[in-house]
Amino acid sequence: MTYPRHIAWLEVEIEGGPESGLSIAPKTTKDFAAALRYATEHGLVVQVWGGGTHSGYGSPPQPDLVMSMERMSQIEVWEPDDLTIVVGAGAPIAAVEAELSQRNQSLVMSERPGPGTIGGAIAAGTSPLRRARLYGVRERVLEVTMITGDGRLIRSGGRVVKNVTGYDLHRLAVGAFGALGVIVSVCVKLWPTPPAAATVVIDDLEMADVIARPLAVLDDNGQKKVYIWGTEREVESLMSRLNGDATPDLDWPEDPEGTWRWSLRVPPALTGAAVSRLPGKWRYLAIHGVGDVRAASATPLGAEDLRSWAESVGGHLVVTKGIPDVFDPWGSLLPPGLDIQRRLIAEFDPRRVINPGRLPGGL
Amino acid sequence: MTLVADLRAVLGAEDVLTEPVELYLFSKDASLIRGRPVCVVFPDSVLEVAEVVRIAERHGVPIVARGAGTGLAAGASPTEGGIVVVTTALQEIEIDPDNRTAWVGAGVINLDLTKKASAFGLYFAPDPSSQSACTIGGNVANNSGGPHCLSEGSTTSHVLGMEVVLAGGEIVTLGGEAPDPPGLDLKGLIVGSEGTLGIVTRVLVRLLPSDPDVRTLLMDFPSVETAARTVSDIIAAGLVPAALELMDQRMVETVENWLHAGLPTDAAAVLLAEVVGETEGVTSQAQLIADLAVRNAARSVDIAETEEHRALLWRGRKSAFGSIAQLAPDYYLHDAVVPRTRLVETMKGLYEIAERHDLTMANVFHAGDGNLHPLIAFDASDPVLNEVVHRAGNEIVALCLQVGGALSGEHGIGLEKRDLMRANFSDLDLDAQARLKEVFDPAGVFNPSKVLPEGSRCFDFGGIRRELPEGVWV
Repeated sequence: MTYPRHIAWLEVEIEGGPESGLSIAPKTTKDFAAALRYATEHGLVVQVWGGGTHSGYGSPPQPDLVMSMERMSQIEVWEPDDLTIVVGAGAPIAAVEAELSQRNQSLVMSERPGPGTIGGAIAAGTSPLRRARLYGVRERVLEVTMITGDGRLIRSGGRVVKNVTGYDLHRLAVGAFGALGVIVSVCVKLWPTPPAAATVVIDDLEMADVIARPLAVLDDNGQKKVYIWGTEREVESLMSRLNGDATPDLDWPEDPEGTWRWSLRVPPALTGAAVSRLPGKWRYLAIHGVGDVRAASATPLGAEDLRSWAESVGGHLVVTKGIPDVFDPWGSLLPPGLDIQRRLIAEFDPRRVINPGRLPGGL
Repeated sequence: MTLVADLRAVLGAEDVLTEPVELYLFSKDASLIRGRPVCVVFPDSVLEVAEVVRIAERHGVPIVARGAGTGLAAGASPTEGGIVVVTTALQEIEIDPDNRTAWVGAGVINLDLTKKASAFGLYFAPDPSSQSACTIGGNVANNSGGPHCLSEGSTTSHVLGMEVVLAGGEIVTLGGEAPDPPGLDLKGLIVGSEGTLGIVTRVLVRLLPSDPDVRTLLMDFPSVETAARTVSDIIAAGLVPAALELMDQRMVETVENWLHAGLPTDAAAVLLAEVVGETEGVTSQAQLIADLAVRNAARSVDIAETEEHRALLWRGRKSAFGSIAQLAPDYYLHDAVVPRTRLVETMKGLYEIAERHDLTMANVFHAGDGNLHPLIAFDASDPVLNEVVHRAGNEIVALCLQVGGALSGEHGIGLEKRDLMRANFSDLDLDAQARLKEVFDPAGVFNPSKVLPEGSRCFDFGGIRRELPEGVWV
């Protein structure tokens, strides 16, 4: 199809991006609004593209129009003393972290972001490995500016670290895969990085219990590691208490890679049980104290049983990458309040143009 | 049948109050705004709450949920009449020490939860000043904070799931122990919604392991500036203390005059800091904070190492609001947030506002997150003074917004700040919020007239065929 000039002139080529009628990179919120209005008028399917790191979640629809976030990647305001940053949603996490590290601050969104963007982490609702101590990505989002499916610019939250002002639409946008709108700009609560840190390999997970709140306790394919940070004296003394092989920095593992990638979510106390139920050849990275297990496999063989077990204990097995139409991405359980979710989305994206059907329950 | 007869048929006569004196008792929360309920009910199960919602819808009367009534923004004042649903009979506490969670009835008092959890070496992080009275349901409704939310976040960060009664009396359980439930995060939306989307009956909360050790520091400064600079320096050094509380001279004087705890009444500002964690950590962090304070001209630094000493240092902070009674019979407590970097200039502005209106103002606030609590002591029986206090209040809010702040940090919008929402949000922002409210509560029974100013739903872009007015989205 032919697109009107005010949209077509934004055309770009997205390396590794999905096939579509047109890929554009809007430069301003006005450009986004115009393109989304056009999509709504013509019932086009829109996919939003950041770094492409979460493109395997849900069943990504075949898009008519791909919106790249690459031109919405500026740091607008960084106030180190306020521990806040306002930044374009298309900003790569790694680039922003590099900037922030100059003042010993961090987004605490992802330790191994790859090409992932801030907006992508928020839209997918993924969380850092440090989440047992510093919470998930949802708790970092202070303000969101988004363009709804029908082209309205709306803002929720504020640029202060504490705020109870109206309904928290900015929190609703976390993990919504753009169902409310395209996130164009966010204010993130930063965290200061203490002077010292260490990674300690331990033989037995119980050895981690000598510390009340470590930064993370990970099981990386059988290798157990405790992560700590603090003042130099503190880290030194905790290292000796842990009594394992220690390296004096934070040595974060990559998420496991494979044709199929999974997010297994169970009650925290069942993290170990979840690991023991993974089919033989699966690789994994488990966050203890949270119930967040990331896994990878060559085939979905054994996933059905694993999902039944996860759902029987109140959890989920979610496909984060795979071959479309082979295995149900979200699982058989319909999310509670499905009707409200559907009606909410209709108020923001009435013709359901952004990522239609990508959320559980066919939303 | 009448409304009251319907309610009594479900709840029993003793759980439906209608006597004028009883209604008067529940006609307002801790704000200054009073309403007139038709009746006050005390359901003791989620099924009864669901019945009450259905009855209210059938009779077309509003429902106002209420916990302990400690709210300061009139969120629980039944200003539109109707039924006040008191949740205090919902008293379950079911702790799961392995998962470090608890299912808690909406009526459970915040401190009771922490007391019960402490048997398992756990605690509930949100600790509003009213924690010995306020309920978990109220904490959820207002996304309450407290001194310790600087490092651990507000209530929303600690709510993993909830049982909620929605429109039509539908009972829904959202979230759970497992992280990241797929789909839209409706529970995150309901936290902080002040009872306008439904009635939360049970909450699944996160509990944190009790801290192995703690150090509390009390530092006194020759100026608000030096105290505020110390706060910034602490953060810049990579520390996020569990609490950073600041009291100005007027507040210290007032507290000391009543408490006699040896607080430095000639200090321009007193900063209370608390660090928690492993012993090695808190010792070195406390020393670092003390060094930074001295570098910023602190006149004295008192570090508590025993529980008695710590309690004494905190007593000053926790007695702040109570001690105000010496100054005047009533007080008007504000709640606004400014970026931490604008604290000093905002404080100056606050003093100017108080002076201009000839009002007695004292300040005690969460300095770490810029959450101000200017407190105006006055006699509420004087209608003229009431008007002046109200005007000064609006100026305070305007000042905070002007420096990039927010309307409320932890008390909520309620009715008190409802009309100020327009100063903070565009018409389209408010329209989006109003649509959201309509989705949850099409009949408008849940706490009507709160949070959103009238006429918020002023745009209608719902129909896709409708042409959008040119440029209206900007």
